[in-house]
Amino acid sequence: MSPPVYDWDADEYLTSEEERMIDELEAMLRPPALPMAPYPPKSVLLASGETMVVRQALVEEVDLMLKVIQPLSWVTRDFYDIVSARLFAELLGWKTHRVRDEYCLVGVIDGVLAGIVNGRLFDEKHGVSFHTLTLKRGLRVGSHLFASKMEHHIEYLGQDEVWIVAESPIGHRRWMIEYPLEKKFEVQHELGGAPAWVLTRDTYFKAKSRLVTGTRPVSDELLAKSYPLREPDLRVMLTQIEHTLEARV
Amino acid sequence: MRDVAIVGVGSTQFGRAQWSLLKMMCEASNDAIVDAGIGERKIDAVYVANMGASRNNRMAGLSSGLVDRMNLYPHTVSETIENGPASGASAIKHGVHSVASGYCDLVLVCGGERMQEVNNFEATEFVSYLSHRYAEYPYGVTLPSLAGMFTRLYMERYGVEARHLAMVAIKNHLNGAKNKKAHLRIPITMEGILTGPDALNNNPWIAEPLRFFDCCPVSDGSSAVLLAPAEMVKEFKKTPVLIAGMGQATDSQAVQDRPDPTELTAVRMAAERAFAMAKLTPKDIDVAELHDAFTILEIVESEECGFFKKGEGHKALERGETQIGGKLPINPSGGLKSRGHPVGNTGVSQIVELVLQLRGEAGDYQVPKQPKHGFAVNFGGFGNNVVATVLKRGV
Amino acid sequence: MAMNVEVAKCTKCGKLSYPTHFYCPSCHGTKFEPVPVGGEGRLLTWTRVYALPLDYAQLYVTLGIVELDMGVRATGRLEIAEPKTGARVRTHIGKVREINGKDITGLVFTAV
Ligand SMILES: CC(C)(COP(=O)(O)OP(=O)(O)OC[C@H]1O[C@@H](n2cnc3c(N)ncnc32)[C@H](O)[C@@H]1OP(=O)(O)O)[C@@H](O)C(=O)NCCC(=O)NCCS
Ligand SMILES: [Zn+2]
Repeated sequence: MSPPVYDWDADEYLTSEEERMIDELEAMLRPPALPMAPYPPKSVLLASGETMVVRQALVEEVDLMLKVIQPLSWVTRDFYDIVSARLFAELLGWKTHRVRDEYCLVGVIDGVLAGIVNGRLFDEKHGVSFHTLTLKRGLRVGSHLFASKMEHHIEYLGQDEVWIVAESPIGHRRWMIEYPLEKKFEVQHELGGAPAWVLTRDTYFKAKSRLVTGTRPVSDELLAKSYPLREPDLRVMLTQIEHTLEARV
Repeated sequence: MRDVAIVGVGSTQFGRAQWSLLKMMCEASNDAIVDAGIGERKIDAVYVANMGASRNNRMAGLSSGLVDRMNLYPHTVSETIENGPASGASAIKHGVHSVASGYCDLVLVCGGERMQEVNNFEATEFVSYLSHRYAEYPYGVTLPSLAGMFTRLYMERYGVEARHLAMVAIKNHLNGAKNKKAHLRIPITMEGILTGPDALNNNPWIAEPLRFFDCCPVSDGSSAVLLAPAEMVKEFKKTPVLIAGMGQATDSQAVQDRPDPTELTAVRMAAERAFAMAKLTPKDIDVAELHDAFTILEIVESEECGFFKKGEGHKALERGETQIGGKLPINPSGGLKSRGHPVGNTGVSQIVELVLQLRGEAGDYQVPKQPKHGFAVNFGGFGNNVVATVLKRGV
Repeated sequence: MAMNVEVAKCTKCGKLSYPTHFYCPSCHGTKFEPVPVGGEGRLLTWTRVYALPLDYAQLYVTLGIVELDMGVRATGRLEIAEPKTGARVRTHIGKVREINGKDITGLVFTAV
């Protein structure tokens, strides 16, 4: 990269007319938004004895998440590539107001990002689940986060059903079979892939005692530890996900 | 008959292999060859242990492939041994026989399995081919389900509780976390998997009363050992380990067919035969690698092999006797639970781990007080084909 | 009647075996006549299996080993919501699995 050239004329400010024009155009590009109830944070005691805080992500945290997700789009294992590439676009769309009624929850262990789930409201009564990305493997972080996402749709956003597709065999086992979900093949899921499966209020409450766990309220002290969000060690994360054989001697 | 010793061992990382099945096996074999320092000597025979290559990797006659990649043709004798999850120890047994009889001098035994080609449903299906074709399989009997039914009976009869099963998993995960080559290197806690508020999701049912952390994972991995007649051991670099005894036994294929389905008769018989051949008793053993494909198996095998009385295994576990610093450390390498279970390879990897222990080379998970005698059980099917091995440091 | 639910009765000594063996386990005879598995029995042990091969659509299946009054043990599907070891059960023949669209029949046990 060439060294930055100092530009005396680079705009330090916009004129009020310029600002107005951008606002009008922006208003057309931005989707309207439905009111959304907040997701109350909870804590989950993992198999390892570590505590994971599940809370809403802040828009300001998107940049950090993008930085963590991006290198995963080259990992073919378990379809990390497609999930992370799509999640990258969805989160960027959330930050720049290009996806309608989207939300994002994160799992945080000792301040470090362990997993991300997101989705959106199709309308008041129907939700769409987008993606579940596990950054720390082997502790069912993904399962807990997916459960939190379902909890959000049904209990806090008050929806009747959530439409879901899996993009990997692990997802199929975890969602379609473990809940179990019902087929709703007449609905084309927004991700544009396989026809949708559905989680209804009924399936949710039946699975709840088994899969939807966690403790509320989260103490202020514990919650405070989940801010600011920190990125996991990239090398450790990639080794865990890819299981490269570098430990061999 | 000649005495047979292990003069070299090697192993890849377990988990998800980056490499093809044959390349993994070459790496493990090469490690064993380098470990022994065989110099210009020629390998006379290659025995390969594998269970699923023809189904999962679309390769048959695997030993010819390994001999080819390792440039050991045309002089070596080679074959592949498929004996379910006991393939590994079976292949070693064949190697021992060919050295003992004087037919060969230097023998390479290499186990290898690569399961990542198949997703978990297929892996479950593939492993369930071990069950009885018409009395078990059509009902959806899988290995975990046989283990689940066995566990329930055992718990009811001997007072084993869920927390005992969890203790096996916790111990083996703790050990495996210290083993750089293990598949699952995450220590787990009783709260996290059994008593805590989120345990039900952390540790879901697989086959009641067995949960997720009661089962071994499905792993890729390869291990190798190099065998030579005891009279030749001075020609190699490392402390030799004698194969003091080996025993094998088979049981009915269907679990329901056994007079007492809580007894693992083949384990008991294989162990008795191995001890008889070694002229040793269970009391002489300093470290053991048992086939803990399901946590209950570690407890029951420890009883059937004579380390503890029937129904007492879980009590010894509770007293900490099977931990690395305990009276009889069991699965210091993490066992199948944490080191991983590349099915056809497991028997070889158990022997590799014991050799490291007996040589004092196990590093972070080394058993203290210089163990002299090691013992392994490699368990095929649900106990229908079992191989036990007794090892001794020095010749 | 499906072959997988028939007991082999030794024509020489009358011993029943299930599953069958080529030689009679008690007299080494090789001639058998089929007898249907049936009647009542006692549940020896059972499990709910959640990790199933792909051809299953359900969350879990319940399996058990039953000691039948007729003198053999058999593994089969349980259609009992809350099984208890030692409970009395009755044998039926029913669909136990579907493989590539083909129904497989086998033993199904219900509570007495
Ligand atoms: C227990 C079992 C059903 C779990 O399958 P699953 O839930 O689909 O697990 P996945 O393959 O999706 O694994 C996801 C992650 O969970 C962890 N994991 C998998 N199995 C695990 C186990 N048994 N214990 C602890 N963690 C495990 C791993 O970290 C894995 O990630 P990795 O592949 O990067 O290592 C499966 O491992 C199994 O069938 N085991 C028994 C195998 C068997 O019967 N062998 C023959 C015995 S002789
Ligand atoms: Zn007879």
